Amino acid sequence: MSHLLDIRDLSIGFKTYGQIRPVLHKVNLYVDEGERVSLIGQSGSGKTVTMRSVIGTLPMPPGQVESGSIFYKGASLLNLSKQERNRVKGTGISIVLQDPMLSFNPVLTIKRQMDDVVRYSDIRMGRKRSAKEREAHLIETLQKVRLQDGERILESYPLMLSGGMRQRVLIAMALLNKPKLLIADEPGTALDVTTQDEILTLLNNLVSEEGLSLLLITHNLGVVRKMADRVYVMERGKIVETGTRDTIFKNPKHEYTKKLMGAVPPLYGKKVKTINYKGSDPAIELNSVTKDFETRSGFFNNKIDIFRAANDVSLTINQGDIYGIAGESGSGKTTVAKMILGLTEPNQGDIKLFGRLIDDFKGTSEFRKLIQIVYQNPGSSLNPRRTVSDQLSVPLKFSGYESSQIKHRICDLLELVDLPQNYAGMYPHELSGGQKQRIAIARALSVNPRILVLDEPTSALDVLVQSTVIDLLNRLRKEFDLTYIFISHDLSLMRNFCNRVAVMFRGNIIETGNVTKIFEEPSHAYTRALLSAIPVISREEENRKPKINKKERDEVLASSTEMEI
Amino acid sequence: MSNVQAKNLQLRNLSSRQMAFYRFKSNPLALIGGFIVISVTFVAIFAPYLAPSPESAGSFVDFRNRHAPPSWQNPMGTDNVGRDILSRVIFGYRVSLGLVIGVLGVAVPFGVILGLIAGYFGGWIETIIMRFTDVMLALPPLAMALAITAVLSPNLINAMVAITLLWWTWHTRLIYRIVKSQMNEDYVEAALVAGASHTHILFKELLPNCFSAVAVKISLDAGFVILFGAALSFLGLGVQPPTPDLGTMVATGSEYMPEMWWQAVMPGLAILYAILGFNLLGDGLRDMLDVEL
Repeated sequence: MSHLLDIRDLSIGFKTYGQIRPVLHKVNLYVDEGERVSLIGQSGSGKTVTMRSVIGTLPMPPGQVESGSIFYKGASLLNLSKQERNRVKGTGISIVLQDPMLSFNPVLTIKRQMDDVVRYSDIRMGRKRSAKEREAHLIETLQKVRLQDGERILESYPLMLSGGMRQRVLIAMALLNKPKLLIADEPGTALDVTTQDEILTLLNNLVSEEGLSLLLITHNLGVVRKMADRVYVMERGKIVETGTRDTIFKNPKHEYTKKLMGAVPPLYGKKVKTINYKGSDPAIELNSVTKDFETRSGFFNNKIDIFRAANDVSLTINQGDIYGIAGESGSGKTTVAKMILGLTEPNQGDIKLFGRLIDDFKGTSEFRKLIQIVYQNPGSSLNPRRTVSDQLSVPLKFSGYESSQIKHRICDLLELVDLPQNYAGMYPHELSGGQKQRIAIARALSVNPRILVLDEPTSALDVLVQSTVIDLLNRLRKEFDLTYIFISHDLSLMRNFCNRVAVMFRGNIIETGNVTKIFEEPSHAYTRALLSAIPVISREEENRKPKINKKERDEVLASSTEMEI
Repeated sequence: MSNVQAKNLQLRNLSSRQMAFYRFKSNPLALIGGFIVISVTFVAIFAPYLAPSPESAGSFVDFRNRHAPPSWQNPMGTDNVGRDILSRVIFGYRVSLGLVIGVLGVAVPFGVILGLIAGYFGGWIETIIMRFTDVMLALPPLAMALAITAVLSPNLINAMVAITLLWWTWHTRLIYRIVKSQMNEDYVEAALVAGASHTHILFKELLPNCFSAVAVKISLDAGFVILFGAALSFLGLGVQPPTPDLGTMVATGSEYMPEMWWQAVMPGLAILYAILGFNLLGDGLRDMLDVEL
């Protein structure tokens, strides 16, 4: 029996600067009808190139097929004419892209953008439908993705919808022409974990209801466990392992797969590392801190909207703590961090650092020697036009080091974060993501601070790199007796890294406590909803996640199926 | 195959500077532009040694030889008082390049600094600088230059002042926009947390990120400044005779069109050559450095 989609020995190269750089090596992959297949790999492994070569959107040049073929229902896609190929796209194979914001044109209504898809495919297929019929079809399709209020959604602009709704509309768009195969490129990755969970459930339901086949491209092993019948593992353009989900997860054979599995921080079970550490004296105290942001609009800037980013936040962080602040995007965790660093002024309340009000001494070099920050994205926090040693010298120079000392100190710092000395002369783009983050950590440590704010320090990194950076942070903490404030939405990582955790929700701290207490006996419904939405990689963890019923869930989470306004 | 792999490996180890040079090298138009700019600069610097009759640059008169068509003796012909046009073109490049250096040497730093300040500090500083820039942009450049050179006396220095007064605005706008977008990057805040001073952030952190855009803009500007200077001279407001200037030469030559065409066309072609060179170079640099203007 022939497969629905069959990729055979596909090799693809990219021509850059007159040379061919191989990207895919002899990739073999197939998807049968009604099957859910996942392609997993780290960034740069060739997942997206595979997906694009199937759908026919790989830019050629620079891309070029070196050998191999792609069959869809027995027909070779690479040999089809452009017109025939377009006919397959959308009607046979459809795609859901990663970023629900970037995939829409912000100045056109949803209706216009969805209608275009139908109209052009009608022309291609030689069908004729009136505008009314097409609209009815749009509404019907939106209902498939559980968006009941079809008419209103069609009239809105992308910005008026929440992230989850946009992702749903995107899925509906892919379903418009009743495709046989749905390719999903990291669906929900850009969304919060609770919304991502909803989207994944929806995709699963659609596959069984509509009789679709699914090719899911992701880097998240937890998502794969939830979504796949069969799994392909890709490393540097090669499929290194393939098998059913259960065999891959229970006994992975290839070294790379094993390494991937090992690097995912476990949420529950024996492998969890619990940090039983009690901090001593308070290092940071927040006393009912409130922060409002004003946005002005209207012709004379006379309309003022107030958004409360932090509401009555009180926290005590002790010396030696690894204090996790968890929450989804917009929950106010970064605002709290910026106030602690003295970068934003709170509207009310006060913040003390080692017993002193930060207002009294922020901006002084004494303050900077107490607290420093590591940002989420080292690509943005390092200046692309300055060398590593230039960047490391900034905090030193402004803390009164002399130039002869600075050179020594930079060498020490590079050694501290396990990088060779010759990296001092390099520019950030010559380094990998993990190395860049090490440089950012070295810069934060350069003036020997006692507290380090880590603002999602690993979320821009692949899971294997993440574990090495976490190891480094743990080592540095022991060596220098540091206190960490760890801001993240990744609760599995927090479980293994922090000793105390606070959960933030819409500007409020709803729960604080020891890491075991938060994860084993979460008291607030939101914490439970958050924990239950995390994709995990074993059945044991799945069973131990807190259960939450629908009523409780609806109380704390905004549904991504209904419009707020 | 192994050869290809070795070459690939070699390419992967290229630094970005080498990559950029590779891109520049594989763009024939940029190479032509670079060659033209180098040749113009070379000719301007060594004008007294290269010009066939250096005395033609001054108030030299040879009435026996006036209106001579292009020949081996005078490759571009002679003008209405018998001076060698080729020699005058060569010396004319000196004036043009002097104008470019004078104008851009003042306008670019001034515009860049204002743009940096407006983008970095924001608030009322930004409002003042940027609205003032807008007002200056709204003035028609030629009318402004006419007014200035008419009030002051018409000569090279005043032409330079007039062009400079209008030129900085473009750089202010360009840099302002770049800085505004760079302010969203975390490295600015990271420098603040590290205790860096405003001057450090402005000139050490933000300015390097503007360099490539400014370099491209300068090379494109150079052509326009030459053109603008030529236009002013053509109107009699720039360089005064007998100093050779390409614009003035076109103006006097045009009186003898079309019979003695070389007197206007040859200096015109010389202007075209220089401007083409700067523009091709600018386009090449833009592709090489990947900047949006």
